Amino acid sequence: MNEEKKQEALENIELIKELVLQTKKHIGHYGGGWISIIWGLFCFVGVAGQRLFIPHGPLIGVWWVVLAVVAGFATYLVTRSFTKNQPVRAQQDYMRYFLRFWIPLMLLGYTLATFIALIPSLSNHYISIVILLVVSTGYLIIGFLFYRWILYLGTFGYIGSIICAIYFLEYSDMILGILFGTGLITAGLVINKQWKNT
Amino acid sequence: MEEHIAINLNTAIHQKARLGIMSILMASNEVEFNYLKDSLKLTDGNLSSHLSLLEKEKFIKIKKKFIKKKPKTLCRMTDKGRQAFEEYLENLEKIIRSMS
Repeated sequence: MNEEKKQEALENIELIKELVLQTKKHIGHYGGGWISIIWGLFCFVGVAGQRLFIPHGPLIGVWWVVLAVVAGFATYLVTRSFTKNQPVRAQQDYMRYFLRFWIPLMLLGYTLATFIALIPSLSNHYISIVILLVVSTGYLIIGFLFYRWILYLGTFGYIGSIICAIYFLEYSDMILGILFGTGLITAGLVINKQWKNT
Repeated sequence: MEEHIAINLNTAIHQKARLGIMSILMASNEVEFNYLKDSLKLTDGNLSSHLSLLEKEKFIKIKKKFIKKKPKTLCRMTDKGRQAFEEYLENLEKIIRSMS
């Protein structure tokens, strides 16, 4: 009788543990790894396209806008799909915060990039520098507020952008695109792996 | 000879489905009805009756909300529920300790 009671107690503790872990896993996962991979690809494709559009000046801005809309939509789809498993669907919250945070920053980036494209004496290579400086600023803010690894990415991106602007301006878009893209995709893969192991 | 164990487990919690509900609510501040239903593999009616019992005991609070014009039932654990769940856990541990 006592043995049965003990067995039942052990089973109940196991059930509690399992459910608590499963719920916490669902709360914490909104597809962050995949989102990071999407924006890593955004960097690669963006820079590749920029190389093609550089001779056409302002078209670079249009290219980045179109690409950002595509990446933003992919982010929305990923968030929607992952938050389906959450205890309370926080999908709207994530998207709202994402848009409220990044839209003003991206507007700033595009405005500055447009100015650069319109000023004939300024090289169009500065466009990618400005965009990546703005993105790095976003990462720095998120890093200071929430995640340390994003802070490293932001710091690295910020310093890297300035170094490229000073010493490797002509190849800066390629260098930064590859560094940012690789950094984001690697971070995404690490996040996905960590989540699978939880 | 085995020692008799006189530890009373709270009957409102000591039932697989209700224990599951309370465990999930311990992990998440607020939980949707459908999440509980899917996680615990219960039917609407079955889950509703368990939730009503827990609500009657004042262990949980249930509120209905409209999100994008769709009704959502949200459950939240009360302080009393949290306390009862912690006591329940302690009692489970006591049972295991007393027999090892």
